[in-house]
Order: sequence, then structure tokens, then C-alpha cells
Amino acid sequence: MRAALVIARKDLRQRVRDRSAIILGLVAPVAIAALMSLAFNGADTFHFTLGLVDQDHGPVATALRQNLELPALRRIVTLKVLDSEAQAREEVRSQRVAAALVIPPGFSAAATSSASSALHTLSSVNNTIAADVSRSIASSFVAQINADRLSVATAIASGSPTSRAAVLAAAATDLRIPEQLVQRPLGAHPVKVVSYYAPAMAILFLFFTISFSSRSFFAERAQGLIERLRAAPVHPAEILLGKVLSVFVFGVASLGMVWLVTAAAFGADWGAPAAAGLVCASLVVATVCLTALVIGLARTQRQAEGIASAVVFILALVGGNFVFISTAPSVMRRLALFTPNGWALRAFTDLSTTGGGLHTVAVPVLAILAFSGVVGAAAVRLAYRAVTA
Amino acid sequence: MGTPAGFLRCDSVSKSFDGRVAVDAVSFEMGRGEVYGLLGPNGAGKTTTIKMVCGLIEPDGGAITVDGRSSRDLAARSLVGYVPQEVALYPDLTAAENLSFFCRLYGLRGRVADERVREALELTDLADRRDDRVDAFSGGMKRRLNIAAGLLHHPALLVLDEPTVGVDPQSRHAILERVGAFKRAGMAVLYTTHYMEEAERVCDRVGIVDHGKMIAEGTRRELVAQLGEKDTIDLSAVGNLEELAHTLRGVPGVEQAAVADGRIHLLTSDGRSVLPLLIEAAGRLQVEISSVDISEANLEAVFLHLTGTALRE
Repeated sequence: MRAALVIARKDLRQRVRDRSAIILGLVAPVAIAALMSLAFNGADTFHFTLGLVDQDHGPVATALRQNLELPALRRIVTLKVLDSEAQAREEVRSQRVAAALVIPPGFSAAATSSASSALHTLSSVNNTIAADVSRSIASSFVAQINADRLSVATAIASGSPTSRAAVLAAAATDLRIPEQLVQRPLGAHPVKVVSYYAPAMAILFLFFTISFSSRSFFAERAQGLIERLRAAPVHPAEILLGKVLSVFVFGVASLGMVWLVTAAAFGADWGAPAAAGLVCASLVVATVCLTALVIGLARTQRQAEGIASAVVFILALVGGNFVFISTAPSVMRRLALFTPNGWALRAFTDLSTTGGGLHTVAVPVLAILAFSGVVGAAAVRLAYRAVTA
Repeated sequence: MGTPAGFLRCDSVSKSFDGRVAVDAVSFEMGRGEVYGLLGPNGAGKTTTIKMVCGLIEPDGGAITVDGRSSRDLAARSLVGYVPQEVALYPDLTAAENLSFFCRLYGLRGRVADERVREALELTDLADRRDDRVDAFSGGMKRRLNIAAGLLHHPALLVLDEPTVGVDPQSRHAILERVGAFKRAGMAVLYTTHYMEEAERVCDRVGIVDHGKMIAEGTRRELVAQLGEKDTIDLSAVGNLEELAHTLRGVPGVEQAAVADGRIHLLTSDGRSVLPLLIEAAGRLQVEISSVDISEANLEAVFLHLTGTALRE
């Protein structure tokens, strides 16, 4: 054990001095997590400026404008009143407004008669979400008008005098469509983009340790350093343990640093510290086992690079490090559960959305450790052979 | 000179790799305070032999003991200082950090380790470079530090595998001087080389190996005496040397002729009487001789006598 600690300490000293290791272990995951958060930020807090051209100036047009200025919509839409359709087109084209709504002349009159009229939306391919939302607002308003008209028509057909049509229409306008659809997250909090991508990127770059460590092992072997270690009164198992120990410590330090930086700088929520720490530790154990497996399978530095790259990218793609796994097809979501990172991301997502603790991560941690056990059992024998070769 | 007291004992050691015999029943022993050279061409089995001595490779047959312990035992390894042929140091660590690391591997710590690092650096004239990274060192300095790393735990047996390959003459001289100092300090030194001059200069006894076999063993005097009164002739020439060597083998008085390093090495019964015949043969074959060296028989001649090939062929 003494020799293992000596070897691990030496490896860590080399790792700390190696700028590429620091970049891979800390700078890159923080930077990419920040970039992805910026890229995806706003997906859950969408807001845009809507241009409105009122060519009608009637009561229904006024009602639509008042609707658009309701407090409920203010979080999503800022209204900008425009003078003409031409001006609206120019504003949309120059992206000063994301979309525009044109109320045509006679729109109010048509609403209280049997004539038909249509609201126009102007949108740009540069802002399809704003276009969709604008259409949705317009459709909702038109649906409300049509519902009012239907209510009045039904009342008159049922015997109400046509002289009361205006009163009935006013009453119908006061009645909003009662059934509403409200989206609520399953957990206590919706998942924040940064809370997903911070651990996702930290894990991805933790996996690069597999490539880095296995390459450095074969470089040492090619330089005769492993042989020199074996010539000392050191058991080969101690050499392997030393190598593995340095991977573990570096992995924990890397994950821990990314955790601290992303939480402090970007507000990433990794969940309860004890539970998140347990997930991190189990994930590093899996990384250590994968490193040993690559060392065991490869024969040369080049082979180690190739195998490690394949392992990292397959795990990252399948486990959901690049995309929200919850939005992936069900087969991908199932496949993710065969990867340690898939389980870890599930655990981190559960922790940040439910505010749970150790019990929340028990199953993911056990799954990661089971993965590590299977990989580790195969790896130890192979890696031992690589040390003594 | 030390005597073969059996501090290191190799008894009929064999090793094969994928059916190819690398070491074939090699036996020798050596005592403390002795420098024993394994002399042979590249691929003769020297490195495989010393890797078995250091416990890095398990022999297929035979036994190796260091101070009575199997070379595979960890206890035996703490008696051995291994200096591999290639420089095996961490290039991104300083000289002192490298040595300090190897100290700790051998269980040396604190002041003792610091003292050993200082001592090893002074011994190899690298004290003023202790805090420089190894990748900034010259080839000769790396070689010296490579040796220093094998000395830290004061081994009873120092194993040097071709320590002067690729070094400048000054560093080579310094290394050979150090080997003499180790011997005087009572250390047993197992030294492999394919340089006859080195073996003659530093080794008390030499084992000549070829194709995995130990073909002769003894002091330089004992080995050369096997040849009787013979001379060696080295010819430098321009032309078809192989054809000339073939022709010279049929010249009376020429016992062996081999081409190596662009020269023809001859073992003759009497160099001075054979010389005119050689020049005549060269003239016939239109080979232009540029220099001729005649000398008394040496280890190179012994190797030529035993194998029919030159040492560096």
C-alpha cells in the first residue's frame, strides 16, 4: 500500500503540472457547461416583442389589445403598437419585433355579424417560436370570439329575443373559456438547463480521464518506467493500485471543482451535497474501472487512445451527456440505464428537481456500482497482465 | 578483484519467447566487489538474462538467486539496483523529484531520502541541476541520472544494461570511472555491453554470450589465452568487403574473417607474415585498403574465434 500511495502521489504531481490535464479536468467542463447553459437558456423563460397593427379601431380590436397587455401575458409578450402593415413587415424583417399581428379593417363589425374576417400574423423564419406563440394567441382570441358568437346564436335559437343580442354578447364576452391547460413539473422545481449540463459536462470530461490515464500508462511502459517500478521491491498489484488511486483522486477533484464553480458562478443545482457527493464518488469508481479495462484491452498507446475515445463517446451519446435524455426516444432512455453516466444524470436531475437526499440516489448509485463491479472484475485481471507484461 | 563467492548465482537459466530461444541454459556466478561483464552482440540474450536477474522475467528453467534468495522475491529486489538500457526517468519531473520518488519506492523517507538524493546527484555530477526538469537534460546527463536512480538504496548488486549506448565520450568515460568506484566500494556490478573495449576496461570477469548461450567465461587473460599466440588484423577498405573476407578465409594463416562496421576483422596465426597476402588478395579483387591495424588478440578476437562472426556484426 505504501508504494501505491507513492506512485499515486507522483502521478498526481505530474497531472497537476500538465496543463492539458487541468484544461480537460476543470476549465473545459466549466466552459462548455456555461456555453450550453447560455445556448439553451430561455427555453423555459421565453419572452418576445410582438408588433400590433390596429386597422380596425373597433371594440373587438381594443379588447384584443387589452388582452395582450394582461399581466398573465406580460411575462411572455411585450406589445409594440405599429402604424401600418408595411411598418410591421419592416420591423419583423429587421428583427426589432419577433412577430406582428395585424387586425384588419372591419374586424369588430364582422365579429358581431355573420360576416367572416381574419387576423393576420407576420413572422420570420428567424424566430419560429415567436411566430408559433403569436399564432397561438391569435387563435385563442378568435376561438373566444367564435365561442361568444356561438353562445349568442344558441340563446337566440332557444327563444331569446334578437333585441337582447347585444346584452347576450356582452355577457358571453365576460365568460372566458373555463377549461385551461396548466403545465406543472413532476418535482418540486423544474429542471434548470445549467443544472443538467453542469454535471453532464463534468461527467463527459471526467471520462476523458480514461483516455488520458491509459495513454500515460502506455507512455510510461514504452519509456521502461513500469519495468523500473517492477524492478523495485514493489508488487505489481501496488503499481496498478497506485495508478488507479491517482485516477480516483483526480476524478473526484475534477468533479468537485466543476461542481463548486458551476454552482457558484452559474447557479447550477447539483442537489443535496451528501447525495450528490455519493453519486460523484460512485461515478469516479466506474471511471477508474473503465480506465483499468482500457489499459487491460490495449497493447499500445495508440490502441489505448482509440479504445478510450470509443468508450467515452459511446457512453456520452447513450448516457445523455449531449442532450436532455428525457426528450430522447424511449429506446434511448432505456439504453441510458446501461451506462453509469445515464444513471448519474438521472440522479442529479432527480436531486435538483425533487430536492431529495440519499434515498433519491440509492438506486442510481447501486446501479453505477453494479456497472463498476462488472467492468472492474473483467478489468483487474487484464490490467494486471498489462503491468507485468 | 573479487572472487565468485556466489552472491549472484545463475544456474542453467533458460527463457523462450513464442518458441524462440532467447536464453539457453546460461550459468554464471559472481561475488561482491566484482564487476562481471556479459559481452555479446545485440540480440545475444544479455538483456533477457539481466531482466531475469532483476526478477522482471520469470525463467522457463533454471534458478537465479541473489544472496541466497530467489530473484523473484521482493526481498531480493531490494538488494538489486537496476539501470535499464533506455533512460527510464520521468521527463516532466526534476532530477531531485525523480530520485526522491525512487527513494520512496525503496522505503527511504525524510532526511535519509534527502541525503541519498544529494549523494546520488553528487556522485553523478548533477548536483547543480537537481531542480531542472529531466527533459531539459542532455543525453549524457540523462544516462548519468538513470544510473543515479539505481544507486539510491545502496544496492549490493548493481545491474547496468548497456549504460554507455548513445552517450558522448566524456560521459562514457565518467560512467566507466564510476563503475570502478562502485566495485571499490564493495558493490557487485553486472555489466552488459557489446563494446569489447568497455568489457576489457571495467570487468574482472567476462561471460561471452551469443544466440542465448554462454560460449566462454573467464578473466580477459584466461579468455585470450584460449587463442594462443594469435594476432588480430582490422582492415578498413573500399570495395566488396564480403567478397574480400571470403577470399581471405582461404589465405594460409587466416583463421577467421568477418565484416562488421565497414571493416574486415581477421584472426591470424601471425599477422605480419599474413599481411602481404592480404594486400595481394585485395589488389586482385580491386578493393582499396585505406588502413591496417595489427594487434595482439583481445576479447573481440576471442568472439571471432568462437563464433566466426565479429562482435558488432
